[in-house]
Amino acid sequence: MRNWLFGVAAAGLIVGMAHADKAAAFERVGDKKVVVFGGRQQIPVLDPHVRYDWSTRMMQQAVYDALVKYEGDPAVIKPWLAKSWETSADGKTWTFHLVDNAKFHNGDPVDAEAIRYSFERGLKLNKGVAWMLKDFLDPGSIEIVDSKTVRFNLKTPYSAFLSFLPWWYVVNPKEVKANEVDGDDGQKWLTDHAAGSGPFKLKRWEPNVLYEVEAVADYWKGWPQGEQNRPGGVIYRIVREPAVQKAALQRGEVDIVEGLTPDDYVQIAKARGITIQDHPGMTTFSIKFNTQQGPTADKNLRKAIAYALDYNGLVQIYNGAARLQTSPFPDAIRGYVNVPGIPRQDLAKAKEYLAKSAYPNGGLTLEYYHVAGLEEARRIGLLLLDNLAPLGIKVDIRPEQWPNMVAKGSKVETSPAMSSVYVTPISTDPDAVAYQYHPNSYGQYFAMSFYKNDAVTAMIDKARRSNDWDERAKLYADIQAQIVEDQPEVIGMMQDRRWAHRDYLKGFQFSPVRFTGEVDLYPLWIDAK
Amino acid sequence: MLSLTLRKIAVLIGTMIGLAALTFLITNVAPGDPARLVAGPDATNDMVETIRVEYGLDRPLIEQFGIYMGDLLTGDLGRSIVSTRPVIDDLARYVPATLELVLVAMLLGVLIGVPFGMLSAVYRDKTLDQVTRILSISGVALPAFWFGILLQLFFAVRLEWLPVSGQLPLTSIAPEPITHLILVDSLLRGDFETFREALSHIILPAVVLSFPCLASILRVNRAEMIEVLQSDHIIAARAHGISAARIVTVYALKNALLPTLAMIGLRFGWMLGSTVLVETVFDWPGIGLYAVSSSLASDFKPVIGVTLVIGFLFMLTNTFVDLAYAWIDPRLRSAQ
Repeated sequence: MRNWLFGVAAAGLIVGMAHADKAAAFERVGDKKVVVFGGRQQIPVLDPHVRYDWSTRMMQQAVYDALVKYEGDPAVIKPWLAKSWETSADGKTWTFHLVDNAKFHNGDPVDAEAIRYSFERGLKLNKGVAWMLKDFLDPGSIEIVDSKTVRFNLKTPYSAFLSFLPWWYVVNPKEVKANEVDGDDGQKWLTDHAAGSGPFKLKRWEPNVLYEVEAVADYWKGWPQGEQNRPGGVIYRIVREPAVQKAALQRGEVDIVEGLTPDDYVQIAKARGITIQDHPGMTTFSIKFNTQQGPTADKNLRKAIAYALDYNGLVQIYNGAARLQTSPFPDAIRGYVNVPGIPRQDLAKAKEYLAKSAYPNGGLTLEYYHVAGLEEARRIGLLLLDNLAPLGIKVDIRPEQWPNMVAKGSKVETSPAMSSVYVTPISTDPDAVAYQYHPNSYGQYFAMSFYKNDAVTAMIDKARRSNDWDERAKLYADIQAQIVEDQPEVIGMMQDRRWAHRDYLKGFQFSPVRFTGEVDLYPLWIDAK
Repeated sequence: MLSLTLRKIAVLIGTMIGLAALTFLITNVAPGDPARLVAGPDATNDMVETIRVEYGLDRPLIEQFGIYMGDLLTGDLGRSIVSTRPVIDDLARYVPATLELVLVAMLLGVLIGVPFGMLSAVYRDKTLDQVTRILSISGVALPAFWFGILLQLFFAVRLEWLPVSGQLPLTSIAPEPITHLILVDSLLRGDFETFREALSHIILPAVVLSFPCLASILRVNRAEMIEVLQSDHIIAARAHGISAARIVTVYALKNALLPTLAMIGLRFGWMLGSTVLVETVFDWPGIGLYAVSSSLASDFKPVIGVTLVIGFLFMLTNTFVDLAYAWIDPRLRSAQ
């Protein structure tokens, strides 16, 4: 019996020891507070010329600077490493003048050579951001005018050129070259190291767990919240499950989270000390049809489906935190027009189009693919199932892992009849959206419809090379109208971007051009004792 | 005994090679294009091809298989296409965290399962027995995913006794590794604060992981104890006036423990597989979490690596159990 008593006492001692402190309101390093971000996604590779997605880019922007930066809502391109720039009359030459005081974390100045090296490296590696400029810029065509002036000589005019530059981060050539292994251009080293000039420098890199950056006290651009309020750093902690994110936020283990479900946002908005950021986003949801093969190659059938869908139901699935699209382009894109006559639910019209199709009485089953685990996309499938029943069309809802869905959609032979696709444009230039409808985009997930209209293709090509905004605006208006007419997809809605954070977190600045979940960490700070 | 041990090792090696081959084929036949996924959503076809060539994915499957198996024999498990790191480095980072979790869970399972199984048998059909039976059925029936979130909400959010997830507080640094098990290393280094923090983080995931194991041990031990307590030598011991406590803890328990030991061996392997769910809920940085994130990204090499590690540890445990049985029971030795 004594042994048992001893055992119970020992267990009690262990539990007592393990009893955690009440959650601290925030983490600290020295006298500075640290912002803790809870995100679902890991950051496998930090190299700014090799990878990007929302979490990676958020951390890249923390440790690196670019020539220009997107800020605000609507997103505006602001000078950053470049204090000014000019372009030639033919739109082929872009000259950037650099600020004088920018320096890398090791103290080296950010000069024209660093800009040239960074762009050449990005183009040469042919990974990550390379697609944005590779058709228009050769690695050897970047010219150093003087130590603070750099010139880009494009092969052909490219009107969207400037709009992509915020995502081309500048690395320190000396540091990268010093860490090259077997001519890898420093790729191995830059996977979990940084050679930047950004407001934060890398402190801790624990793959699959957390990534920590430390604020640069004498950041060349200064701190918008003031030296007194600037954070000591930011910890990006991976919290994969929405329910766990919610629990961690409520307990104060994280200061801001990005991945709650629509229902979670509604619930947690009522909790004390929590603020919800809810902003109209630029991420579009559409149901892409395979326009070249199978029943959905029939335009009348596509139209029938588009008119049968309950669009208000789409918004309800997001508890109202979404807006219907009125064009294939998000409204934050330059050149967006409200296209008249975009389909809304009208069963009579749906039946009219069905009667004109090769399936006048329905009697067919269409596959609807969505990303496995994405509850909203599944519910949209159920809505579709219900809405198409009066047309005699059955819907086979198929959840699929994202890599498999991408693989399926990369070939016209395997692309599903209907796929739910969310797309976030990379820039606010209309070319970023229009080019998704160009045959050169076939193989990519946003081109699963394999849309082909020679007139639209010609307009896209012409618009991206034009230097005249009025001409471009007219072309993009026509492109939007024609896409609506051709109905390569059900043009759906734009869900709001949402974050939940503790109310002591200040400085949050929304910009629609950022990816889902992505936050500008630079202006954040904690207002608490 | 020596020849038996050698035979077991030969079987172990053969099975591992078979497992590697099978996993390689299954993962590569499965649909999905890791190169396109890694290249990014906007990558052009030639950019995807750059990745494909870099990782040898452009070669015929049979050639990829040959290279993989050749590398495997030299201890090279390949490179993760997502993280770009060698899989062996990732495993070295994640395996200790999983082992620590499984060992603590196993300890909980044994420390609770064995005595309660014993008490349940002694107080058969009494209140205690009914309660433990409900506990054991719940342990087998409760989904780990749901149970984990429930415990988080109660103990972390409501009571604020324990942290929600993770292995250590955010600003804590793990002690300089000796065994790579944080609990052990922090004790060996005399860092009791880190030990306390690590213990507070491991309790919830270990409880969730141990619950089904605890339930099985409890049920098996109860059943064995009931049988042993009715046997002749126990009746004889009672007739000799030996105290009830001594009969149960010394005479009966020892006899009932053999099948329980076999159950512990089996459950160890099962627990390694179950870490996939538990580590995801608790963001525990082990191989389960690594397997989940890798398979979602169609990152095949880490998936094969994790399968091999779990397979190896499972087989190793069973080999030890087999050998232990043979060592304990001479009849089994001679039979083999």
